[in-house]
Amino acid sequence: MLALSLYVLIWPVIVAVVAIVISKAFISEAREAKRRGEDLI
Amino acid sequence: MNPEAVGFSALTIVLLLVLFYGGTFFVSTRIGKKNENADGYMTAGNKIGFGISAASMTATWIWASSMYASASSGYTYGISGPIHYGLWGALMILFIYPFGKRIRKVAPKAHTLAEVMYVRHGRSSQLMLAGSNVVGSVISLMSNFIAGGVLISMLSPFNFIQGVFAVAGGVLLYTLWSGFRASVLTDFMQVIAMLGAVAIIVPFIFFAAGFPAAFETGAANLTAQQSNFFSSEAFLNQGAPYIAAVLAYAIGNQTIAQRLFAVREDLIKPTFITATIGYGAMVIGVGMLGVLALYLGFTPTGGDLNNIIPEMAASYLPGILLALFFIMIIGALSSTADSDLSALSSIMMADIYGQNIAGKKKANPKTMLLVGRLTMVAATALAVALASMQMNILDLLVFVGALWGALVFPVLASFYWKKVTNKAFTVSVIAALAVFIPVRFDLIPMTGITAVLIELLAILGIGIVLGLMAFGFFGLRPAMVIGIGASVVAAPFCFGFLRDYTTLSASLVAYSVSTIICYLMSFRSTQNFDFAVIAERAGDFDTGEQPVAAVPAGSRNSTRTAQERE
Repeated sequence: MLALSLYVLIWPVIVAVVAIVISKAFISEAREAKRRGEDLI
Repeated sequence: MNPEAVGFSALTIVLLLVLFYGGTFFVSTRIGKKNENADGYMTAGNKIGFGISAASMTATWIWASSMYASASSGYTYGISGPIHYGLWGALMILFIYPFGKRIRKVAPKAHTLAEVMYVRHGRSSQLMLAGSNVVGSVISLMSNFIAGGVLISMLSPFNFIQGVFAVAGGVLLYTLWSGFRASVLTDFMQVIAMLGAVAIIVPFIFFAAGFPAAFETGAANLTAQQSNFFSSEAFLNQGAPYIAAVLAYAIGNQTIAQRLFAVREDLIKPTFITATIGYGAMVIGVGMLGVLALYLGFTPTGGDLNNIIPEMAASYLPGILLALFFIMIIGALSSTADSDLSALSSIMMADIYGQNIAGKKKANPKTMLLVGRLTMVAATALAVALASMQMNILDLLVFVGALWGALVFPVLASFYWKKVTNKAFTVSVIAALAVFIPVRFDLIPMTGITAVLIELLAILGIGIVLGLMAFGFFGLRPAMVIGIGASVVAAPFCFGFLRDYTTLSASLVAYSVSTIICYLMSFRSTQNFDFAVIAERAGDFDTGEQPVAAVPAGSRNSTRTAQERE
């Protein structure tokens, strides 16, 4: 039961980690673009 | 309308749609330019950072159907089902990145793969690839509109057609003016909403539905195969056909190529790896809802497996999380739909108008932008019309997928091998399709010598698929060892066996026939193509210079192709 529970619940954890990585990169790029006075995209 | 299916009032659903599409439209206006650049409209200047490009790649690859299909796979094949859907789909992104690095090196400023094929080979190769991209994107667009219409009709008093119009209008609203730039920026918001929703909704349903205790009480609902993580049934019916499609979908899908040309060149690897993990975890995570439904003995309405996710959500989520779920699905289908619109507009701008009608030197950037925007409007109208007919999407996708499978070797070889000719490209793709169609649609009896020959081609196809995957990462020699080794190892198991799996066999045959013919027609060729020509001729259209005035008909300008120069 524990193994099955971990198997189901590990994916939302990985998803949350990816969301954090992408968000941090986005914020850093937005700040860098603002500092340089350029458009983000 | 089924009254029991109503989850939201009309006012609530309108507010949610206004919130979602209004928000994305507002964001897109922040990057709007009065004088939009035609190249920016297609690839955003080829220098997007890691955060936006990883978000965009993930969002684009996740569409509503991928979530529904992953849950269906979990419900049908048990605990390994979502892995056999999501893992291979994720690997499509991973396995294309080494090729992506080569493609960007050869064509750093291109907009579409077909545009590169025009320079590399000529018009027939270009239009073959562009045509398959257009058909694939229109089908994808239609599929996402259908998913939106179904979801809105299921969770609100509105009907299917009203739902389709709401989604189509919303996506067109924020994509039309800024094109690809709007698509990738809004992808970031959409993917964060989607990922956040999955991180909350899946654990919530897990505990609300009585798990982990339900793993014991519901174990009897699973067959031996469904309980087995190493289920051969799941692998052969779900996983194996997907492995065969890994390279095909990544090569044939202009939405992926467009992001490949847009991301900063040194960020291709981290972008593709992050998107692989993000896509895989999200789709497998949502697919687990199908596994939970199986344990619960849950029966979707009308036996339609596409109802599993919405009905599980409606059964176990409180109002606020059901709204989050609604945004998640709308975000998934909108992010893919806006990418399809951008892909279609780029193909019409670069491949049809830029290369074939005006010619690269004479292409007017303002006309290009008009072509791109009109394409978006026309594609939306066409997809809405097709969506209202509720055509069989699966059959269409299978056909396009096979077309892409037939294109994989000729396209990839064209980026590495100087000898590949336009004739070899064109003939090999047509021949592969000519063999694929009767196999896939059971038009020839799979018995006797015919079955043996098809199985032989399919076994060679296994080696070619694995060899190509290995080639991207390790180079030619290891790829040859892996490819030949895979065919030799597979042969004893596949003769007399693959004939019963025509979907898989047909896909593999498309690979092998196109590879064999392309190789045989090219290896004695005297062509010695200079790859530097591609960077020179597949570049920016909108350089700020005035387009060249009228050129006498029939004159050869610098847009002439490799084939024309032969």
